[in-house]
Amino acid sequence: MKGKHVLRDNVLLGLGLALMIAALYMVFVYVPTEKHTGIVQRIFYFHVPLAWSSFLAFFVTFIFSILYLWKRATKWDTIAHASAEVGVVFTTLVLITGPIWAKPVWGVWWTWDARLTTSLVLWLTYIAYLLVRSYVTEPARGARFGAVIGIVGFIDVPIVFLTVNLWRTQHPTTIIFEGGLTTPMLMTLLVCVAAFTVLYVLLTIQSANLKSVEADIKQLKSTQAE
Amino acid sequence: MNKVFTKILAIFWKDILAEFRTKEIVTSVLVFALLVLVIFSFAFGTRADAMELVAPGILWTALTFGGVLGFNRVFIMEKENSRLEGLMLCPVDRAVIYWGKLAGSFTFILAVAVVITPIFLVLLNLPLFLPRLALIIVLATLGFAAVGTLFSAVAINTRARDIMLPILFLPIAVPVIVAAVKATALVIAGRPWGDMLVWLQIIIVFDIIYLVIATLVFEFVVEE
Amino acid sequence: MENLGYLLAAYTVIWAVIFGYVLFMQRKQRGLQRQIKRLQESVYKSEIDDK
Repeated sequence: MKGKHVLRDNVLLGLGLALMIAALYMVFVYVPTEKHTGIVQRIFYFHVPLAWSSFLAFFVTFIFSILYLWKRATKWDTIAHASAEVGVVFTTLVLITGPIWAKPVWGVWWTWDARLTTSLVLWLTYIAYLLVRSYVTEPARGARFGAVIGIVGFIDVPIVFLTVNLWRTQHPTTIIFEGGLTTPMLMTLLVCVAAFTVLYVLLTIQSANLKSVEADIKQLKSTQAE
Repeated sequence: MNKVFTKILAIFWKDILAEFRTKEIVTSVLVFALLVLVIFSFAFGTRADAMELVAPGILWTALTFGGVLGFNRVFIMEKENSRLEGLMLCPVDRAVIYWGKLAGSFTFILAVAVVITPIFLVLLNLPLFLPRLALIIVLATLGFAAVGTLFSAVAINTRARDIMLPILFLPIAVPVIVAAVKATALVIAGRPWGDMLVWLQIIIVFDIIYLVIATLVFEFVVEE
Repeated sequence: MENLGYLLAAYTVIWAVIFGYVLFMQRKQRGLQRQIKRLQESVYKSEIDDK
């Protein structure tokens, strides 16, 4: 399977590398230090793309879960599973970098603000997704269960976000997200988003390939046992 | 349409009768919820001024964890006696099974809530007559049951079935828990309807969305 | 240059976790390749036995 997409994979790898180097340059050399919060603010340029990429990852899982339940082709499920795995990795990073940024800037590690809290709930939901898939013995059933959770979990996201938003606006906190972005900041952010999106795609492809081979071997072993 | 309703009622009635005999689910959930109530009351102290702040949380923690315990039992009889296959042989739309089990689990948890809530109000010296609280409890329990019944069917087919249900259920139920706690706090504080409305709306929207989604996907969970 | 430590910590964690994940996948891949070899050997063996 890897042989089929050699060109695509290499192009992606090259693109990803180039974007990541460009992103690092822009974050650490190009963009000026933000006035109010200082040098720590540069975490923002990786924290936000990680959040958006994780959201993309779970959206992909959602779409491919529906596709799988509809068409029942294993490849859809493999992508959904792999995407959820990468999504959990990225969300973990969001939840770690968020507090690292928050502490020096706002003085607290955690604020129950809507975005971070939704990330936390997403993290828990898709960890449950991964756990269910690992605790189910038959692959077809695991795929179906995963698809159901992938769909149900994603639908919860807007509800959680709106609810927590409402919940927090009742307790006005001192946290105000900074105002506008200057053009250099916006450019830097966009490059970083592109870099992390490509990284997400690369990692998901790699993970999906692994899972596909795993499934093939499992099938070979079971037919060999007969 | 009538046939569908009759089938749902049949499944529901079977569960009610079984529960009437053994009283297994309701008693265990009731005792557990009561314990949670008491332990949390100790944990947060009994100072009158703090009580109004933490009381809603205590009630909904008890109902949430009690609910999880209850939902774990929803399909346990079917699983252990391989009755699910029998049920599946009937030419019914799978969603009918879901609604039948949903009616049962909803009723059981509601029954527990009906007993727990007055005890809760008495223990924490809160006003007893709160019809709006009843509304919150009914709506929130419906949301819990909608998700809990679906995930119960998933969890029971996994290796670590007892722990799998809470892990699946709790993150999804977050909006209901937050909204229910906020609404309860407003009711206890005697605030007007308007304040509470938005939280009720969240629970209602959640209920509708998840009832629909669960009805659509349940067949994928139980198919063989 | 205050809070440089936080900045460093954040970026270190990001690279550590991503590389950790890549290494994790590489290790799984090596394990899978070992399994493929073992399967190939047993198929080869049973082919010889059949003859």
